[in-house]
Amino acid sequence: MSDTANNTSSSQPLGRAPIAQVSTFSAFKATLKRDLLIALKRRNDLLNPLMFFLIVVSLFPLGVSSDPQELTRIAAGAVWVSALLASMLSLDNLFRADYEDGSLEQLLLSPQPLYFMVLAKNISHWLISGLPVVLLSPLLAYMLYLPADAYWTLVLTLLLGTPVLSLFGAIGVALTVGLGSRGLILAVIVLPLTVPVLIIGAKAVADASLGVPIGMHYALLGALLALSLSLAPLASAAALKISVN
Amino acid sequence: MWQWFFRLGSPKWFYEMSGKWLPWLLVLMTVLMSVGIFWALLFVPQDYQQGDTIRIMYVHVPVASISLACFPLMAVAGVITLVWKMKLADMVAKCAAPIGAWFTAVALATGAIWGQPIWGTWWAWDARLTSMLIQFFLLIGVIALRSAIESPDAAAKACALLAIVGAINVPIIKYSVEWWNTLHQPASDFSMDENSAFGPEIWVPLVIMIFAVYLFFVISLILSTRNEILQRERRSQWVMDIVANEKV
Repeated sequence: MSDTANNTSSSQPLGRAPIAQVSTFSAFKATLKRDLLIALKRRNDLLNPLMFFLIVVSLFPLGVSSDPQELTRIAAGAVWVSALLASMLSLDNLFRADYEDGSLEQLLLSPQPLYFMVLAKNISHWLISGLPVVLLSPLLAYMLYLPADAYWTLVLTLLLGTPVLSLFGAIGVALTVGLGSRGLILAVIVLPLTVPVLIIGAKAVADASLGVPIGMHYALLGALLALSLSLAPLASAAALKISVN
Repeated sequence: MWQWFFRLGSPKWFYEMSGKWLPWLLVLMTVLMSVGIFWALLFVPQDYQQGDTIRIMYVHVPVASISLACFPLMAVAGVITLVWKMKLADMVAKCAAPIGAWFTAVALATGAIWGQPIWGTWWAWDARLTSMLIQFFLLIGVIALRSAIESPDAAAKACALLAIVGAINVPIIKYSVEWWNTLHQPASDFSMDENSAFGPEIWVPLVIMIFAVYLFFVISLILSTRNEILQRERRSQWVMDIVANEKV
């Protein structure tokens, strides 16, 4: 990748200063590092999705019933739906700060392939807002009396599924980043797209707690992850170009 | 070779041509629709199990099938918008979204009316109903995005992209919902399209109705696109000429 970038810059004597020769990988790393640093300095952004996740999960016993049997039945779905909502809520700060301070434009202007830059932003966003939710999920599953057999499945399906949610969500964020009020419209656009992940993830956890084999569920989630890893950043990149233009 | 394609993309050409086609399409649709409706409502024999309820099928099946075509249509228009920057494709996509949403809603509503006497419930989380509902949500999303973005150019591109993403997702959603549902409950004979069991006196009016409803969709789309053309091209000379002539 870096070779082609060099070739084009040297073959076009436009009289500009030569573009700094940065390999795609180091640009990827730099973007990732920058985003992680920014996020780590804003502790609230780190905590809010977790708190939201915790609050939504604890609404289910209050709204449905405190009966352990009843809760056991809905635990898988409740945790998954809450994780979905938490990831939706945290999406808003994926591109917004960068859009507002203009660094997103610099990213779009950079000679690096946008796919990898968007991917780096996605990964750092998931590490900040997705991974903590995954790690907290067993505790919340315990609060909802999820059978112990299903804990690993819950963590693993969330580990496979929440990146897909982030990747799909990024498309929606990229499309709406320039809009004034985007909270609701983002949810309206993105939530229907996340239906397959929710179905497969929640079903896997429910099946695991019943003792049903769930190899196929993992395979389907993995397929969704592979598909969205390869295609979603392309769509997000295209959407960013449309929005920032 | 591509000339016809780009000529098709000219709003003015489309406006003139569709003006010529419209009367014929309207006549054809009226004939087909009245034949189909009367045949279906008055002359089709009652189903031995469903009685007169079977007649809902003659509205439901055509409407549902055309609403399924809406997302692919918008995605194709989206590709044309993004690749060739053809304004007409975006106008069609813009007009197709609300019409498609209405058709999806009608399909859901007629399904519910049919479901009440036959299944004993207005709503079931059946695979088809669910994926139809989610398609409705996706269309609402496209419409919401369109109305949220002020610049028409950016809205066109953004909606084109969303339609393409949605169209890739529709089959995934459909299969995941089917998979979810079949594991949830044993397969039930909820499906309506067991054409093989029906004789020609049942399916011939259905085919007529399908053509009639398709035409209805096309005509609605053309009418709505013509409006959109007039509105967007209101500053161009040919639209001013039309308006000036109509006032005389």
